[in-house]
Amino acid sequence: MHYTAFDHYILVVLAAIAAFLPRIIPLRIFTSKEIPSWFNAWMKYVPVSLFTSLVVRDLFINTHNYTFTGFHHIGKILSALIVMVVAYRTRSMGLSVLVGLIAVALFTVGLHW
Amino acid sequence: MEKTQSRWVEVFKVALPLCLSYVPIGFACGILLNVAGFNAFTALLVSILVFSGGAQFLIASMLTTNSPMHTIVMMIFFLELRYALLGSSLSQYVRGTSKKFLYFFGASMNDENYAVNYLKFATDKSWEPKDALQVEHWTLLFWSVSNFLGAALGGLLPIQDYLETVDFALTAMFLYMIVMQLRNRLTLLISLLAGVLAIIALVIMKSTMGLIVATLLASFVGFMVEEKLTKKGTDFSSPWLKRHKPKASKKVVTKEGAE
Repeated sequence: MHYTAFDHYILVVLAAIAAFLPRIIPLRIFTSKEIPSWFNAWMKYVPVSLFTSLVVRDLFINTHNYTFTGFHHIGKILSALIVMVVAYRTRSMGLSVLVGLIAVALFTVGLHW
Repeated sequence: MEKTQSRWVEVFKVALPLCLSYVPIGFACGILLNVAGFNAFTALLVSILVFSGGAQFLIASMLTTNSPMHTIVMMIFFLELRYALLGSSLSQYVRGTSKKFLYFFGASMNDENYAVNYLKFATDKSWEPKDALQVEHWTLLFWSVSNFLGAALGGLLPIQDYLETVDFALTAMFLYMIVMQLRNRLTLLISLLAGVLAIIALVIMKSTMGLIVATLLASFVGFMVEEKLTKKGTDFSSPWLKRHKPKASKKVVTKEGAE
């Protein structure tokens, strides 16, 4: 769809609501009640699954026609591996992102990989 | 313990490392939002109201690929669902606060300031809910100003050719979050499963709904497998659930609680 400036405001408000609800509901409930263990057990695997899905889409999927691109974007894939090593060794988000940006600029813009 | 500096300076010192690392990422996020069609004001607004790097990068990347609004909002809801867990785990420390406090506290909570506050609550007895809220607001200030500047200056810079490059900040941030989440072998296995499922679901469904399907399936498998392993009474002996410690040492945030 085509987005107008007004659509952007609506999007921001809807996004804010979608982001706020999961934050406030458990805070309101669990400041007075105990946390059910099944809920924790299920929630534990949501972030890692979602982040992996997002990364896999960025690296292996053409988002215009949703085809599998394999190892076509090798520069991005190599940069991703470098980012994982940096994240593992330093536990620093800023450094991971910075190294990732430098690596991908070198590989894709510099070497045309 | 003698008070040598006022409380807000102490709290600010706790928040400062996080605030500084928000500057480059917030700037990149602002540029991407601007390229995706947002102006500096809407970029500032979304930074304050949503205040989530993941969600804002997601908005930028989905607007660039012209995704419909309901898909974007639904993706954000699923992306932000994890805060239900973070909020639950912090709730024991913010009992007895007012409703108004909880609304403000919840609205500005994100992955990073949660990590800082959780550590402080767990290790520093003098850490109070209002200090935690202050950390949230310091990080919010740095994040939103960086986004605003990125969006304002992004329009002046010829970065269209480098869009894919700057966009990688999103991928790098998610990769960082994945690495931080890998606690044991089962989590690694679920991560790999989610990746394979995402490719299959995206190719079949030809929309970002594939991400939601892959996430729900993979996390459900993780939940079921863990249930099964713990029911067998192998909670701590199972190699699949054995906690794994990353190599880098944990940072000590501050020591001002010590005598």
